[in-house]
Amino acid sequence: MKVTLVSRSGREVVRGGIELSDSATVKDLQEAIHAKTKKYYPSRQRLTLPTKAGVSGKPVALSPKSKVSDYCEKGNSDNLTVVFKDLGPQVLYSTLFFFEYLGPLVIYPLFYYLPLYKYFGYDDTNRTIHPVQTYAMYYWCLHYSKRILETFFIHRFSHATSPLSNVFRNCLYYWTFGAYIAYYVNHPLYTPVSETQWKIGFAFGLLCQVSNLHCHIILRNLRSPSGNGGYQIPKGFLFNIVTCANYTTEIYQWLGFNIATQTVAGYVFLVVATAIMTNWAMGKHRRLRKLFDGKDGRPKYPRRWVILPPFF
Amino acid sequence: MASFFSTVKRIYLAIYNWAVFTGWIQVLIFAIKALNESGPAAVYDAVEKPLQLAQTAAILEIIHGLIELVRSPVSATLPQIGSRLFVTWGILHSFPETRTHILVSSLVISWSLTEIIRYSFFGMKEALGFTPSWLLWLRYSTFLLLYPTGITSEVGLIYIALPYIKASEKFCFRMPNKWNFCFDYYFASLAVLGIYVPGSPHMYTYMLGQRKKALSKLKAA
Repeated sequence: MKVTLVSRSGREVVRGGIELSDSATVKDLQEAIHAKTKKYYPSRQRLTLPTKAGVSGKPVALSPKSKVSDYCEKGNSDNLTVVFKDLGPQVLYSTLFFFEYLGPLVIYPLFYYLPLYKYFGYDDTNRTIHPVQTYAMYYWCLHYSKRILETFFIHRFSHATSPLSNVFRNCLYYWTFGAYIAYYVNHPLYTPVSETQWKIGFAFGLLCQVSNLHCHIILRNLRSPSGNGGYQIPKGFLFNIVTCANYTTEIYQWLGFNIATQTVAGYVFLVVATAIMTNWAMGKHRRLRKLFDGKDGRPKYPRRWVILPPFF
Repeated sequence: MASFFSTVKRIYLAIYNWAVFTGWIQVLIFAIKALNESGPAAVYDAVEKPLQLAQTAAILEIIHGLIELVRSPVSATLPQIGSRLFVTWGILHSFPETRTHILVSSLVISWSLTEIIRYSFFGMKEALGFTPSWLLWLRYSTFLLLYPTGITSEVGLIYIALPYIKASEKFCFRMPNKWNFCFDYYFASLAVLGIYVPGSPHMYTYMLGQRKKALSKLKAA
């Protein structure tokens, strides 16, 4: 069969199209495109069916495991037109996460160990370091080390890659906030809270971090190792009452850190991170409810909190 | 019901645009008068009141964009109005040492010329339903010169104010305090200067794009 590959503007991406066997999968198509174009490796290709005039909704994306012939119209199994979009240079998700998290892991201790505050106009030659500042540094580094280890050993990603531009955007976010918080917690004029308060804060935070790890393990076991990326109803532990229990524990973990360290910078970060995760959680909750609608033998998605019981 | 609201909207926007227009006409006239009679050092005192009024009224435009009364994207109006308010209140009003500098004259003239054209353009659109093509041309062409002169004046005045900002404790919030927070106006002003570096080409290319769209529509009409 022959596949005609066009760009969204109608231009032929591979002149003369691509010849494939009738039983070829989309993955074979992707590899053929890569062979013909050299630049466009499979994870950079977005392949969709052309949208019909007057039909609204998102274009149908070709799934790599399916056969190309599955997408052909009835009675026309020898020809298929596929729309190609270049997603731009891609990096592995694990690469993206590694660099995002490496920044805060390295930058925060710089503010703790090195005499940097003299460059901001403060005399930090005879500073006293409060115990809470030391524990905050350990807590912070533990958190980001955990994230890096989870990236390589726990998480199963639904997409293998992410656009390269996300590396710059995400690193800017994490690294800037990391420096912003580290500056204030390690400041020579830092005012600690009471010992009781920071002990409670760190204890609560650690409890949430352990819960968060447990959530990640549950999520990992929902996905098969072959990386199908399909959806299942999460259950067990906190997932029985809240859809995105992993985000919930992450948010409360930062709350613990802030109760212990009490900086405006830390709370600003908490608010921004909560907003971002809430946005993701709403999307995931909506997707799961749409998929598990109780019809055609599919289970019905149970009534659950989206992300932050008891509010939302 | 819908057409009642759209008429009210039109009347409101027409009044708004023409009112601010007269404010900027005043600014320009007072500035030129002061330049003729006394020279650049006297310009600020002559224009202070109408300038502050007309420039601060522009906050309404951010609200208009947010509630979708007008189509302008908040991403274009917010940086523009933000920088104007910062210079008007955060620099000229707060640090009088900057007021006699010659850049104040170029600033005030660049701003008032731009705004006079812009507000009359929108005022005519709302009140009469159309704008004459010469006004459309002015609106989408004068920025080519007035953006660089205006931005240079803004950046220049912020730069000149820096030593005065550093020496004063104005708008600064110091540590230690129980919220472990501080705000240093000097560093914040440096950050604002930094924003001009990507911000100015962004605004200029945005207007270039708008110009292309508007003038090609003119040709087609």
